[in-house]
Amino acid sequence: MNKKVVFHIVGMNLTIVGLSMLIPAIWSFYYGTKDIYALLISFLITSGFGLLLFFYFKPGRKENEIHYKEGFAVVTFTWLLASLFGTLPFILSGDIVNIADAIFESTSGFTTTGSTILEDIEALQPGIMFWRSLTHWLGGMGILVLFIAILSITGSGGLQVYKAESTSLIDNKLRPKLSETAKILWFTYVMLTLFLVMLLLAGGMSFFDSLCHAFSAIATGGFSTKNLSIGYYDSSYIQWIITIFMFLSGINFALYYPVYKNKNFKSFYKNAEFKLYSLIVFLSISFTFVILYRTFPENGFMDNILDSAFHVISVITSTGFATTDYNLWPEATRIVLFIIMFIGASTGSTVGSIKIGRYLILFKQTSQEIKKILHPKVITKTKIGDKVIEDKMVLNILQFFFMFIFIFIISAIIISFQRIDFVTALTAAGASLTNVGPGLGMVGPMETYSHFNNFNKMYLSFLMLLGRLELFTVLVLLNPVFWKK
Amino acid sequence: MNNRVVFYIVGMNISIIGLSMLFPAFWSIYFGSQDLQGILISSAITTIFGFALYMLLKPKEDLEIRYKEGFAIVTFTWILASVFGSLPFLLTGTLSNFADAFFETMSGFTTTGASVLTNIEGVAPGVLFWRSLTHWLGGMGIVVLFVAILSSVGVGGFQIFRAESTGLSPDRIKPKISESAKVLWNTYLLLSIVQTILLYIGGMNLFDSLCHTFGTMATGGFSTKNQSIGFYDSFYIQWVIIIFMFLAGVNFALYYAVYHSKSLKAFIKDSEFKLYAILVSLATIITTIMLFVEGFGDNFFKTFTDAAFQVVSVITTTGYASLDYNNWPTVTLVTLFALMFIGGCAGSTGGSIKVGRILILLRYMFQELKKAIHPRAVTVTKIGGKIIEEKQLINVMIFFFMFISIFIVSALIISLDNVDFVTALSASAATLTNVGPGFNLVGPAENYSFFSNFSKLYMSFLMLIGRLELYTVLVLLNPIFWKK
Repeated sequence: MNKKVVFHIVGMNLTIVGLSMLIPAIWSFYYGTKDIYALLISFLITSGFGLLLFFYFKPGRKENEIHYKEGFAVVTFTWLLASLFGTLPFILSGDIVNIADAIFESTSGFTTTGSTILEDIEALQPGIMFWRSLTHWLGGMGILVLFIAILSITGSGGLQVYKAESTSLIDNKLRPKLSETAKILWFTYVMLTLFLVMLLLAGGMSFFDSLCHAFSAIATGGFSTKNLSIGYYDSSYIQWIITIFMFLSGINFALYYPVYKNKNFKSFYKNAEFKLYSLIVFLSISFTFVILYRTFPENGFMDNILDSAFHVISVITSTGFATTDYNLWPEATRIVLFIIMFIGASTGSTVGSIKIGRYLILFKQTSQEIKKILHPKVITKTKIGDKVIEDKMVLNILQFFFMFIFIFIISAIIISFQRIDFVTALTAAGASLTNVGPGLGMVGPMETYSHFNNFNKMYLSFLMLLGRLELFTVLVLLNPVFWKK
Repeated sequence: MNNRVVFYIVGMNISIIGLSMLFPAFWSIYFGSQDLQGILISSAITTIFGFALYMLLKPKEDLEIRYKEGFAIVTFTWILASVFGSLPFLLTGTLSNFADAFFETMSGFTTTGASVLTNIEGVAPGVLFWRSLTHWLGGMGIVVLFVAILSSVGVGGFQIFRAESTGLSPDRIKPKISESAKVLWNTYLLLSIVQTILLYIGGMNLFDSLCHTFGTMATGGFSTKNQSIGFYDSFYIQWVIIIFMFLAGVNFALYYAVYHSKSLKAFIKDSEFKLYAILVSLATIITTIMLFVEGFGDNFFKTFTDAAFQVVSVITTTGYASLDYNNWPTVTLVTLFALMFIGGCAGSTGGSIKVGRILILLRYMFQELKKAIHPRAVTVTKIGGKIIEEKQLINVMIFFFMFISIFIVSALIISLDNVDFVTALSASAATLTNVGPGFNLVGPAENYSFFSNFSKLYMSFLMLIGRLELYTVLVLLNPIFWKK
């Protein structure tokens, strides 16, 4: 592996992370709070260290190549170091004392998970609170580039679906170059965020809170500035706006640009993944609604619809916002939430988990397999649109599914060494690996992860990273072969 | 599809089931119990129905059985066996609700061992014997199913195990299906006889020895006692059952290979067996340690026995219990939960995904991790020196995907009965994997009687599809299957 180029790029990324700590510093200045010092010192340390790496590892002309190995290393180390240095504002300001707590919180931010160890979020100083939400937004941006740049080379399942589905978009409408594509995705990301900020402002949220919640919603993170999450705002308007934008963030970002360019929605209704996503969301909401309405008729029709829609979308897009404690809901609805946790939304968005695109192929292949038994001699091909999905790719995706479930269940065993109940063990592992954030039981939406021991906090942080970077990116680095010359 | 030949063979199978109801009738006579009449009537109805199908549909020309017919025969045999098998429960008044009786019988024939009976010891001896016998018959059926159908069709990658070093390859075991089946049946029978003798020596009476042997060898789980094996407060009996559950989870073809070659080489060489042994040891060790750490153990040997018993019982999908593990530490419960999905080896009477498939999935996973570093390296997945083709890998993985999907969707369906999360998840898993007991409300000291009729029938269906390796039943639900 070419270490020089890896740490050169990681250094650059870290410098950017450091620089972005100045934005929360502006809020500290505005509010006149003391956390400004912590943020400024964190900025100096992070950017300083980043620049040091950047200049120390300046690669020569011949060493400037990035292959698979370098790609994996750049991504993993960027997330790892960003999460580590991202803890500085928490620790230096004294808002989080325990280092494992700070690492958990920061990783949860950068991986857009949204699980927290903070018992009282509202006690945070404004600069720190803003930084916490900003990590989501930065993490989400990172995922979009990662998606384009790294996964497209390695062909880790999900992206191939995306490629197969939107090649026409990429080749003709979107510019073919990776950097151009990244820019278009970022532009979409920024625009969605801006829209959401404006709509939240219009709903009476303060500018500070609007920004924080927009960061969280568009990055499908889940950090809120309130202890009651979105439930604090007892406003159907705000809840609906966030529901809609969470849904939008779960759509492949490459679908928005053609709409803007061609002035029609063809890209949406021609996209099989989007259709399946909408269908699953619709079915889950309907199912949840029917059960909720039967259990809580006193809440009325509209509120039950809103509650179902909000939480189904919040979980399927791996956001993790809550307006009510769904821990108290009937069991069937809790199981629905548990299932859709493992579904996730579209590829090419900021969501985590297994993702619809993969399921699309899994379902098609399953029905192929059943048909094949009946007609063993017929040669069949799995297709998405007009594209034939090759066996290699089907294997990749199946493999990903197995690994995901395998890691999930092993992790549930590992974290349950601490005395927790069955449901908490299962959902804490699930919610971390899928980047949803809150789970059920003792990690429900109105609970926190603070009761875990330090080992589990570190382990869950690792799970978030693993899930966020689509397993492979991190796991190959754990293989000793990787480090051999 | 040739319906005639299908129901001709199904009819034959049903009449065998009907005749086998005479065995419990002997026990009724011996004990002089009231259930004799009900059992004899059931036997008569079943045998006559089966015989009628058999005679009426006797094909005139040579009977030709292809894949389609094979699937239909297997599925209908299990369904009809469970319908007629519920007659002894209904006609003797042991169970009055059809859904209950069907659940109990399906649980028997699929070697699941989930029960709706709240007081097993109150059941008349003939019916009790019939209940355990359904396990043993079901286990026999599974052995044939494996040899005759699954290993020859591309079902869930089973063909991989057909000619593994296990000795089932045509040149080593007699090539014909019926011959292979006989060899495996003899193994099954022999192991059953040995276990019965060992249990009898341990002080169990002949009736209970037979019933528990049936439950063990078929990896079923029906006991004649409310406390299951916990009733016998005997290390000897517990260890006999642990060992025989373990043996029942091994590919039966390995025994033949050992017998044939007079050496244990077949075991040592079989990678599936090795993984199975490793998993059992590992899970037992973790469970033992955690029981000690959490203060559940006072005596090492007893704690070790408890851990081994429960681990082997769950991984082989038997479902016997030597104690109520519901209050065990969570880590051991999650471990048992994970083991449920592993199951025994291919070619055994164990249900679930099976160690062989897990082996392939794990091998492929590690291989892919290596490959990500050297993307251009050409690698192949091998099991026992044989290369697994891409198509077969997809088969195995799709099986895994379907299994997990069916499990989780079923948990949702079961939870409509307003049961808690853990009960819903473990009831779905325990029936699909044919383990039997799960956790919480379906824990080892509990039973399935409180579920609604719908859930009982649904879970019977789950046991069936789990037992018949999903595809066998699911292809029948595909409309294409029924087209000419």
